[in-house]
Formats: sequence, C-alpha cells, structure tokens
Amino acid sequence: MLFNKRSALRLTAISLSYLALSATTALAETKIDFYYPVQVGGPVTKVIDGYVEKFMAANPDIAVAPIYAGNYNDTTTKALTAAKAGTPPTVAVLLATDVFTLIDEDVIEPVGSFATSAEDKAWIDGFMPAYLKSAQTDGQLWSVPFQRSTAVLYYNKQAFKDAGLDGEKYPTTWEEMVAAGKAVTAKDANGQVTRWGVGIAGNVGSAQWLFGALSAQNSAKLVNDEGTETYLTDLKVVEALQFWVDLSTKDGIHPPGIFEWGTAPADFLAGRVAMIWHTTGNLTNLRKNATFEFGVAPFPGHPTPASVLGGGNLYIFKDASDEQKAAAFKLIKFLTSDEILADWAVQTGYVAPRDDSWKTETLKTYMVEAPQALVALEQIPDSVPEFSTHENARTTKILNDALAAALTGNKTPAEALGDAQAEIDKVLKPYR
Amino acid sequence: MSNATPANSTVTVTIGAWFLALLWVSPLLYAFWAAFHPSSHGAPFGLFAPLTLDNFREVLAAAPFPRYFLNTFLLVTLILTCQLVVCTMAAYAFVCFPFRGSEVLFMLVLIQLMIMPEILLVENYRTLAALGLRDTILGMGMPYLASAFGIFLFRQTFKSVPKELEEAARLEGANPLQILLRVFVPLAKPTYVAFGLVTVSYHWNNFLWPLVVTNSVETRPVTVGLQVFATVEQGVDWSRVTAATLLSVAPLLIAFIIFQRQFVQSFMRAGIR
Repeated sequence: MLFNKRSALRLTAISLSYLALSATTALAETKIDFYYPVQVGGPVTKVIDGYVEKFMAANPDIAVAPIYAGNYNDTTTKALTAAKAGTPPTVAVLLATDVFTLIDEDVIEPVGSFATSAEDKAWIDGFMPAYLKSAQTDGQLWSVPFQRSTAVLYYNKQAFKDAGLDGEKYPTTWEEMVAAGKAVTAKDANGQVTRWGVGIAGNVGSAQWLFGALSAQNSAKLVNDEGTETYLTDLKVVEALQFWVDLSTKDGIHPPGIFEWGTAPADFLAGRVAMIWHTTGNLTNLRKNATFEFGVAPFPGHPTPASVLGGGNLYIFKDASDEQKAAAFKLIKFLTSDEILADWAVQTGYVAPRDDSWKTETLKTYMVEAPQALVALEQIPDSVPEFSTHENARTTKILNDALAAALTGNKTPAEALGDAQAEIDKVLKPYR
Repeated sequence: MSNATPANSTVTVTIGAWFLALLWVSPLLYAFWAAFHPSSHGAPFGLFAPLTLDNFREVLAAAPFPRYFLNTFLLVTLILTCQLVVCTMAAYAFVCFPFRGSEVLFMLVLIQLMIMPEILLVENYRTLAALGLRDTILGMGMPYLASAFGIFLFRQTFKSVPKELEEAARLEGANPLQILLRVFVPLAKPTYVAFGLVTVSYHWNNFLWPLVVTNSVETRPVTVGLQVFATVEQGVDWSRVTAATLLSVAPLLIAFIIFQRQFVQSFMRAGIR
C-alpha cells in the first residue's frame, strides 16, 4: 500500500504546513488603538469593551485596544496631540463636525477610500443619506456615522390636558407652539411663573445646534457644504433668532435669558417647563423618571418642519501602517453592522443611522417598548447636519457668543448675527 | 457710624466671615446632600427625603475606582518625593554655593514659572513617545519632577536662615550635606508642609495632561476616570456626579481635617496663602 502511505504522508505535510501558516498569522498580530468618548450615562465603557471583545474573537489576528478618552473635546485633544507626536490612534470616534478641522490638520484618511469592493460600497449605501452628508466633502467620504443623535420636542401631556389642550395633538408650526406655550404657562398668585411653556437651550455648545434646527425650519441654511461660507445675515436666519428671542421677551413663554441644556431634563421632569427641545438620547432617562405622561414629537416648522443631526462618527487616522488601516476598516465595518448599531441604540439612546438596523429584532422589540423612539426615525429625512466649518472651534464659538448676546438682550438679533458674520468671514478667508 | 466700638467691628467681622465661609462651603454641602439622596430628590430640599447609598454603589460599579485611586496615589507620591529632593538641592545650591552665572540660572528658573504647562502638551508628549514612556505613571509624572515654584520657595526660606547657624554647624565639623539636613531642612519644615499640600492638591486634581498620556486602567488617575460621569449630552445627573466627586476628594478632605492645625500654621509661617 505504497500509494496510500505516500498520500497519507502528503496529507500530513499539507496539514502541518497549514498549521504552521495559521501559527504565523496568529503571531503576526495587528495592533490598533481605538479612542472613544463617553457622552451619555450608563455603563458605556463596558458596552464598548464587549463589542471589541466580540470583534477580536472573530478576528484573532487583530488586537484592538479600546481607549476611553473623556468627552468629545477631550478625545479630540488627545487624538490630535497623539497624531502631532506621530503616534495617533488608528480609529477614533470624534464629532461629525470636526471633519474640516481634521482634514486641515491632515491627520485623517477618507474611510471611503478603503471601500473598494462591491460589498463595501453596498455597506456605505446602507447608511441614511442625511447622516452620511455630514461626512462628505471634496467628493470624499471621510468618516462613517456611529453614535448619532437628533433633537426632538418632548412635551408634558398632563400639562397640555390641564390647560384644556388635546394631549395627543402636538404643535406642528411655530404659531401652534407659541399658542400651546401660552396656554400651558402658569403663574402663581404673585405673578411668578411656575411653569414655562417651552425651553430651548441657549448655553454655549447647545445654542448653535438647536439654532441650526430653527433656521432650517425657517427654510434657511447656516453654512455651505464646503464649510467655507456662513449665511448668518440672511434675513431668514435673523428672523429665526428673532423668533427665539421673542419667545421670552414678547410671548412670555420661555424662561428669560439663557436656558441651560444640562438642567433642561430636570426642569422638564419637575414640571417647571412643559416643552423642551432636547436630544433623542434623553428618552431613556425621561421614561425612567417621569411621574406624568409625556409625548415625543417632531420639531415644528415655519413652514418646513426640520430638526438637526448631531453626534460622532468613526474616523481612520493617516499615520498608521497599511495593515493597521485595513484592520481599522474591518473594525469600523463591524461596529456599524446592523446588529451592533441596533444594540448600541438600545443601550445608549443614540439613533441607529442605518435603515436595516431598524429591521433587526433588537430594535423591533425596543420599539414595542418605547414607540416614542420612532419619532426620531421619521424625522431624520427632514433633518440638517450640524453647523460645521473649517476652524470649527472658533466659528462655533463666535456663533454661540452671538446667540447668547441676542438671548440676553445685549444686542438685537440682526446686530449680533451681523457682527458674528463679519468675524467669521475673517476666520474663513484663507479657506475660500 | 463712625464711632463703631471695637466690639461692634468684631461682630461685623465675625458675621462677614461666617457669610463668606458659608458661601464658600455651600457647593460642598450641596454635594453631600445630593450624593446621599435619589436623583428625584436632588433639587427641592425636603427634610424627610429618603437617604440612599445607591449613588455610591452605582459610581463604584461604573469604573474601577480602587485602581484609579492607587494610580493617583502612586503618581502624587512619585512627584512629591522627586520635587522635594530636587528642589531642596537646587535651592541649597542657589543659596550657599554661589557660582558664576547662578543669578542668570535662577532667572531662567523663574521664567519657567510663567509658562503654562498646557502650551508644552505636544512637545512633552513627543518626548515621552520617544522615550517609550507613554501610558506609564513615570511618564505622567516626568514633566513635573522638578518645580520652579518649589525652588523659588525653598531658596527664599533658606535665605532667611541665620548665617550664624550655618557657620556654627561648620565649626562643629559638619559637611555640606549634614548642614543641609540638620540645619536648613528642619528650619524650613513649615515651608515643606505648605509646599507639599499645594503640590499634592495640584496633581491630585490635574486633568488634561494625564488624560492625554494615559491609555489604560492601569495608569489612569481618578480625575480622568471621573469624567465618565460628566455625560453632558443627556443633562446632568447631580446625584451621581456629586457621589463620584465626594469619593475622589474624600482622601484629601479627610487628610486636611485631621492635619488642619498643622496646615494652617505652616501656611502662616511659610507666608503662602
């Protein structure tokens, strides 16, 4: 049986070489660093660690170090510092609005350039166009959506009913919102307001976000797609700010001055404000702590109902080896798979930015539990990207300062926005 | 009234002092209140609001705080030890061994006081990366192992030590190191305590640099770990934030209460307030 013996030998040899091969690939591990911020409550770091472990179990040749790096600002500082020193993370979750800054610093590589196969292209097409938009510029796709949010209107149904309104009918236009706000605003015997109609957060960091929604509702645009031009002196934009200021000065339904984002949920829960504009990420918190019935509604319009998108994308950094970048791309595809995004949405309250995620069992079950989450989904096609330009930190600050000046009555809306536009023009001049 | 009696003015001063003290301590008092109550009872102060330890339980479950405390403790100990040694030697040299250019050198040290450490973030990071010390406690402490403030402070203190004491020690046959350890250091003890307190509290609270250089649980200090509770996007959950804050300041607070007398006296003598 010489033949058999020989073939047996051959088989052994082949299997041995296979073993050796797999042994070498197991040794040649690709190591990548993954920076991510924590912006919402809950055991977020544990959830991320869990995803990464799952990914490494499926890809034993890749070792991912998930590194929690504070909030968005901290993570950007950390990533940029590391990149400047030549040791950047390979993947990071950073604000979608940071795209121009990261391009100008020349530290990121477009994610789209890795998607070469038909399968990869289909994966990119699976993201909702509204969310992809904030990552596209210069004909490139620079990042992919991961932890995305959008703002919605939360309203106190009990307060609506107490004021003689229909608790199921939410305001769909500015006029209706003002009317409802006037109806639900309550005062005590001394004329002190005990419940305000509506609260729109105007503190630094939130003002420019929600103002983006106000402008879009008034059919205006704050910034062009290239991030080089802002349109703050547009009459429609000024009108939007005038409306916001009037809510408190003329209609008397908005707390005077600046309403704080951070304490808005507490104010809503305590019944001090009947309607708040806040992130979908707050749904879990409000559902857990509300002692009254509340509703979630899409934003009103004037006449176009519109909201604004926010949150973070996954970026790949430039200064890494090709193997590392390929591994990073694999990780990104894993983290944005329908199942993971669905689970991430349920665990954190973020909006899954892929249509197919919403068809998974995980999200279907969740929507039975919390049908309010559907409002966010329906509103997305009508939503605009967040304010984002080159030198984003500076322009955003200028805009925020202008909004604060108008809200506190130091300047008229037209003055404030005019001054801001002139300042931003100076900052953005080199990019035009 | 212009003819205010001394008794009257003491009363005014006492009332003023109490008012300022209450104003100053109120955030801490609120932290105690919020940390021991459920978040639904955080804002309106009800005397009979239920007490709870859940906030602390949640906080401790959310991050490996014991490890973070150990890291902070190691970091602060390393920095304090090195600063005391380096600054003492440098100050001693400036005071007792004048050499050509020592004035210029001292000016350079003073100039360093005026540089904000944040400006050097990228440069420091680059140096550490080159040394392979990223994500280590030694690396995190490295930029702070010497302190211009410490050198300045010790130099001023050593200068105020009477020359006669030093000369007497020399007559007794003490060598320079013995003079430093037996004469200068004991006389500067209040300054050492005051400087130690300033340094410990500064590095206990330091945030940006540790955040940038640390990557893992094994090196991350408490301040960076705490940031996980500042979940601004969803609004602020004061109960958990205050519980985490109390946990992180507790060691310093307890130490301060125990050694309060010594600290206050040291500050009076060292002239730092």
